Amino acid sequence: MRKLLPLLAVLVCIAFSASAQAQTISGRVVDKTGAPIPNASIVIKGTKSATVADADGNFSMKAGAGTSLTVSAVSYKPFNIKAQGTSMNITLESVDNLMNEVIVTAGGIKSKRKEIGTANTLIKPEQLIAGKSNSIAGGLQGKVAGLQISGTSGGVNPSFRLTLRGQRSLTGNNQALVVLDNVIVPNDILANLNPEDVEELVVLNGAGAAALYGSQASNGAVVITTKKGKKGITEVTFSNTTMFQTLSYFPKLQKKFGPGGSAYGTDVNGRPLFSYLENQSYGPEFDGIKKPLGPALEDGSQDSAIYAYNPGHLKFWVTGVTNQSDFSLQNGDEKSTFFMSGQYATTKGTTPGDKFNKTSVRVNGTRRLGNAIAATYSAAYIQNRYDITSRTGDMYVNLLNMPSNVDITKYKDWRNNKFANPNGFYNPWYQNPYFTADNNRLKNRNDYFTANVEVKFTPVTGLDLIARQGVVTKNYSGKNTVGAFNYTDFAKHTDGSSKTDIPASVADYSAYTTELLSDAFGQYNIKKGVFDFKIIAGAQWRQDQSKTVSVAANALAVPNLFNVNNGVGTPGVGEANYKARQIGAYGDIRIGFKDYLFLHATGRNDWVSILAPQNRSFFYPSADISFIASDAIPEIMEKTPVTYLKFRAGLSKVGQVNLGNSFTFGAYSLLPTFNQASGFPYGAMAGYTVGNTLVSNNLKPEITKGYEIGFDLNMFNDRFQSTVTWYDTKTDDQTVTTNISNATGFTNLLTNTGQTQSRGLEVTAHVTPYKTKNFEVTVGGNYTYLDNKVNFISADLPKLSLSSSGSANSYAIAGQPFPVIMGFDYNRDPQGHVIVDGITGLPTKADTISILGNGQPKNRLGLDGTIRFKNFRFTFLFEYRGGYQVFNGIGTELDWSGTGYRTGLYNRERFVFPNSVIADPSSPGKFMPNTNVTVKNGNGNNGFWTDGINRDVTSNYITSGKFWKLREVALAYDLPTSLLNKTKYIKGVTISAQGRNLLMWLSKDNYYTDPEFSAGGTDNNGIGLNSIDQAPPSRYYGGTITVKF
Amino acid sequence: MKKIHTIIFTGLIILGATSCKKYFDINTNPNDATSASPENILPQALTATGGSLNAFNTYGAQLGGYMANAGGYGAFGVAITYNFTTTNWTNLWSNVYDNLEDYQAIMDKAAIDPTYTYYSAVARIMKALDYQMLVDAYNDVPYTDALHGISKLSPEYMDAKAIYKDLASQLDTAISVINSGSSVLGIKALGGYDVLFKGNLSLWKQLANTIKLRLILHSSGKVTFANTTFSSDGFLTSDALINPGYLRDNNRQNPKWTTWAFSNTGAAGNKAWMPSTFILSFYDGTKLQDPYRGKASYYQFPQTPGNRLGVENSSVAPSPEGSLWYPATVRGGTTGNDTTGALKGPGAGMPVITAAESYFMQAEAVVRGILPAGDAAALFKNGITASFTYLYTKPDGKIAGSPAADAATYISTNASFLTDLSLAADTKQKIEAIITQKYIALNMVNSDEAWNEYRRTHYPTLVNTAGASGKETFASSVSESSRPDHLPTRILYPSSEGAYNSSNVPKNVGVFTSLIFWAL
Repeated sequence: MRKLLPLLAVLVCIAFSASAQAQTISGRVVDKTGAPIPNASIVIKGTKSATVADADGNFSMKAGAGTSLTVSAVSYKPFNIKAQGTSMNITLESVDNLMNEVIVTAGGIKSKRKEIGTANTLIKPEQLIAGKSNSIAGGLQGKVAGLQISGTSGGVNPSFRLTLRGQRSLTGNNQALVVLDNVIVPNDILANLNPEDVEELVVLNGAGAAALYGSQASNGAVVITTKKGKKGITEVTFSNTTMFQTLSYFPKLQKKFGPGGSAYGTDVNGRPLFSYLENQSYGPEFDGIKKPLGPALEDGSQDSAIYAYNPGHLKFWVTGVTNQSDFSLQNGDEKSTFFMSGQYATTKGTTPGDKFNKTSVRVNGTRRLGNAIAATYSAAYIQNRYDITSRTGDMYVNLLNMPSNVDITKYKDWRNNKFANPNGFYNPWYQNPYFTADNNRLKNRNDYFTANVEVKFTPVTGLDLIARQGVVTKNYSGKNTVGAFNYTDFAKHTDGSSKTDIPASVADYSAYTTELLSDAFGQYNIKKGVFDFKIIAGAQWRQDQSKTVSVAANALAVPNLFNVNNGVGTPGVGEANYKARQIGAYGDIRIGFKDYLFLHATGRNDWVSILAPQNRSFFYPSADISFIASDAIPEIMEKTPVTYLKFRAGLSKVGQVNLGNSFTFGAYSLLPTFNQASGFPYGAMAGYTVGNTLVSNNLKPEITKGYEIGFDLNMFNDRFQSTVTWYDTKTDDQTVTTNISNATGFTNLLTNTGQTQSRGLEVTAHVTPYKTKNFEVTVGGNYTYLDNKVNFISADLPKLSLSSSGSANSYAIAGQPFPVIMGFDYNRDPQGHVIVDGITGLPTKADTISILGNGQPKNRLGLDGTIRFKNFRFTFLFEYRGGYQVFNGIGTELDWSGTGYRTGLYNRERFVFPNSVIADPSSPGKFMPNTNVTVKNGNGNNGFWTDGINRDVTSNYITSGKFWKLREVALAYDLPTSLLNKTKYIKGVTISAQGRNLLMWLSKDNYYTDPEFSAGGTDNNGIGLNSIDQAPPSRYYGGTITVKF
Repeated sequence: MKKIHTIIFTGLIILGATSCKKYFDINTNPNDATSASPENILPQALTATGGSLNAFNTYGAQLGGYMANAGGYGAFGVAITYNFTTTNWTNLWSNVYDNLEDYQAIMDKAAIDPTYTYYSAVARIMKALDYQMLVDAYNDVPYTDALHGISKLSPEYMDAKAIYKDLASQLDTAISVINSGSSVLGIKALGGYDVLFKGNLSLWKQLANTIKLRLILHSSGKVTFANTTFSSDGFLTSDALINPGYLRDNNRQNPKWTTWAFSNTGAAGNKAWMPSTFILSFYDGTKLQDPYRGKASYYQFPQTPGNRLGVENSSVAPSPEGSLWYPATVRGGTTGNDTTGALKGPGAGMPVITAAESYFMQAEAVVRGILPAGDAAALFKNGITASFTYLYTKPDGKIAGSPAADAATYISTNASFLTDLSLAADTKQKIEAIITQKYIALNMVNSDEAWNEYRRTHYPTLVNTAGASGKETFASSVSESSRPDHLPTRILYPSSEGAYNSSNVPKNVGVFTSLIFWAL
């Protein structure tokens, strides 16, 4: 309809225009990417003389050279140009963030942005794919105020955790709801969906904006709409991307000392002795002389290494390569549009032997049937395949326990190289990391199918009746294998060996989750005088179902025949089935007054199957208001540089039933269970134990209530654009599984208790300081301040454990940030100095754990920029996070192995414990600074660094989590059209080079790893702890060539 | 127009409301049982006790001197300094309370359905055993407030002596309930669900008496029991073994075998520990000459390597696959089986209380006058013979060699008061002999009880002077204990209690300073 308006206007103009005495000019109207803009109108300024471009953007009209033309099109900014020649190429700029832009909001309802009283962010496809992240989550990082995306692990297909406005639920899901073409999909789709398919991505920051999605909406939503094809555009795109992946950070190592330690004795100077088989690098300093490694083998041969630094730890990791090919086709006419795409990508990871590939296909389209019926459909199938090691952590531990004089890469061929073979590997206690990676494999396959069909019936103008059916199904299966290895008797019994035979095992599993989502709603628009009404009422049915079956054999008859049929003894088996249903009935009313004041209210009632009948039904409302001051008060635009000013405010209440996860949906949580245990059944005899979880008998949903206020301000002809939002939400009736005293007979209690609060500020600002036809610079950024805390839990439960890694725990504690890191510290004096013993110089470990940091970044900043010069486009994005701490789980292993940088801080000599005090002998209870009492053994192996007094003290491995990252940088070049015009078919060629996470600057005290990593994985709220199970972080860089036909 | 949508909306609501009940009635658990009968719970509960007994054995063996760190491993930390924290040995606490809840569930069912009276009685006996193990490890523990689920989320701790007193009464109750069982109409027999005594109720009563005797001996006058007499059923004269049908199969092996010897896959068990030189001195002739039980218990005896706890250097021998407590010379994780000693094989039963311990308890009770009549020397000899018999017995019940003859030779050749009570000069020596022989008999069998007895009696005798050798003391060479014997006195309450029951958990408990109420 909207497209018709300018067309009509132009037609009217043409009808009345007199043809002037002028030559014929012609040209083409395109957007920034070079795609044609159909139906643009070209008007001679100050006249009624005008024309309309065709579907391919081409136009011709009579106009004198130098005549001023105004070119305009819906969704683009009007553009003034002087007429010249016959091949004018006019590029229009889209009206980003402008008032009339229509976006998809909750429930798949389209609204003008100016009507919306809550914060939202629109991400255009070019923003998403600039850095060629192979996942949407990666492509969104740092780009949206209020949205925190953390890469929780590295690897071939990194996992991401997406949270909007912090965390609300103590133990439940805090990840943003992901909606793909109006269907609620599991979060892991974000890591697998082809980013090239995305037409539009809207982030609804708060619960209010998303309220129509019902009880899933409390965490905000990421609403993705895929391309459907456009009327009048036929385009075929091929592109190929090659990205390389290398380590962007490796823990800082000491490069001076090799294997040995004081447990092997000391030389005349008191220096620890070398050991030819020790894994701990606490031996003497490197001297460049060749030394033996390990005992002589059975055949008498002897492994050795030059006793000098060798960067083997770094060379172990390989350069990963991803090769990705894409093609897409789109087409559209008056009645229908069509889009299809395909993608194939193969990845070789940085961990030796890790492989991954991904294939996706999509078919989308629309079709009008007569005047009253419109159909929309989309369907996508995505599959990925992993072939990776299942023991990243063990491999990493083994790697770190190889001293840095060893050229680790020479142990790669463990099958043929006798020194690399487990039998002959020099270290009797730690395996060859190549062998660990090779012998423990995981092959996993994931298949996703998502589809949605929608029919819209418009019996009369203003009334739309819409029905939708969506389906998302994920099937996955996989196999874990461990190869058998039987050591020779010689290997088992040489020098201090603890080598023991490795039995083969296999575990096989398959599972599915299927979600069915049906929507039926009516939408009625009517204008009454100065008022616009938009009323929506509808209902939604949702059913989730899942099943998993697993079977495992922990010993095999024929070695390395990895089939459970080949198992010995009773196989381990598992089966679980879940099903949950939900109905929501909702209403939504939006009242517009004179197109500058909008009132909006929603209400939804949900009924869920997973709660007891008396608690099944719950209602929640939301309301928001939007006021376009710049439209209401003309003086603002006339007398100030302000071009757009909108005030908005919203109030909302949303319930979330937090009983399970995305696999169990919280089904069957209300009754305690009895399980077979202690090896039962033995033959025909069953044996059940009372389950360990108690359930409160009145479980209710968690209720999030809150408000947000903000404004959008543009100035200087929209050369400056900004948005500011403040929000504050409180979430009550937290459903938590609390740990309880074992003496109750149980270990956990599932109950409603506690309140969390999240409040913060979200600011975006962009400025275009320089802009000409050929040269444009836009810079800006987004800033998020987040104050996320636990107000209270319950009187009995002042704190709640969320996750742990090593000696560190992540806790929710009343009155503290959510979450905090707790662990052991040293005993300190009231001023915080570490108290050390007056004779040994050693500190003591505190008896109880204390709070050592908060795990949630308080401040986040994204800085982005685009510089366009002729056909070159350069974009960059930096991200900063600060105001939080991380526990680095790898630290204890680095200190244990003696390869860590920290262990060399004092050159392995006795040292005065930094910032320490000793008891003042003259006045008991008082302390005096320690200036000269040194730690009794400054070495490791049996000294300070490997001892519990160092490694068991959590605070030693807590560092600031702050970082700056160069998230994305891309340089793209569009081949000039003049060059392409010579070919008949090619419409555009773009060549780009891009990098992701190229640089990372960490806090000075953090010499461990990427603070984004989380040991708890993507679903765990206990953020701020990482572990050795996460391989080192990577940077990605490569190039893309895209050809459009 | 508005009407239409009002109609639609109302229609949807009505549709929703009417079909709701059925549509949502899908929350019945298809995965796990939500109820279980005592027949289903009892076998598991007993087997779980077998699992706790294994954990307690490890704890007792490491603290009580049977084990030392082996070569090839490092970082023994508090295991050799004894400076335990609240995160050490937490499984003892959690396993037992988890197990207690199973027994409680049986008793709760029986309270509603009296046909489960026998199940309730044996659950009561096993509860007493579980609590006795807890008190001996932790002293005061939650008792009357415990096992009440949601109605008592922060259970208060009860004085250990009061718990002991009540446990004895509970055992009396259990016996009388069994005796009156025949009057209950339709009472259900234990039958095969009883994986300890196969439904033999007189053995259950003997176990109850034996546990009660243990309580009375431990508390030695510090607790005033309501009734110090025993029912006429007597004490155990055979080994009480839990065996649900252990076999070499995934998760179905004797847990002690899995821990120390081999998993069902043939993978070696824990190789980080080996026998202590202290315990070996009771076999190798240093203190006593006992090649019989030495050979039945240890690999390569008398060449079995040992170590002093705390000594970590490259001269310490590594432990072989299958451990040094697996005496067979032909060894293999998937072939070796069925031998003698403490581990025996994957199918062996888990000892709750052995006949040997029962006899030694009776002997002590006679010496101390707790039992009015009896021949202490004969009971003592029975204890030694029963120990030989237990160690000589293979998992299938067959006895290798002649334990009685070997025991007799052992007693006569050593000719010491430690092997022959008639040679003891006085009561003190008698007690020392009884506890020392019990120490030998409990070696890797019920090691925790030996550790209890050491703390109660300070036998076997240790040399506590500085520089004492590993044959003279089992204390770690790097002990941080301030005690004269360089040993800890107890372990700490688990960190979970500090976190989730902090208002009740006793404060200021020290590893080297706080004593279990019966300890010296």
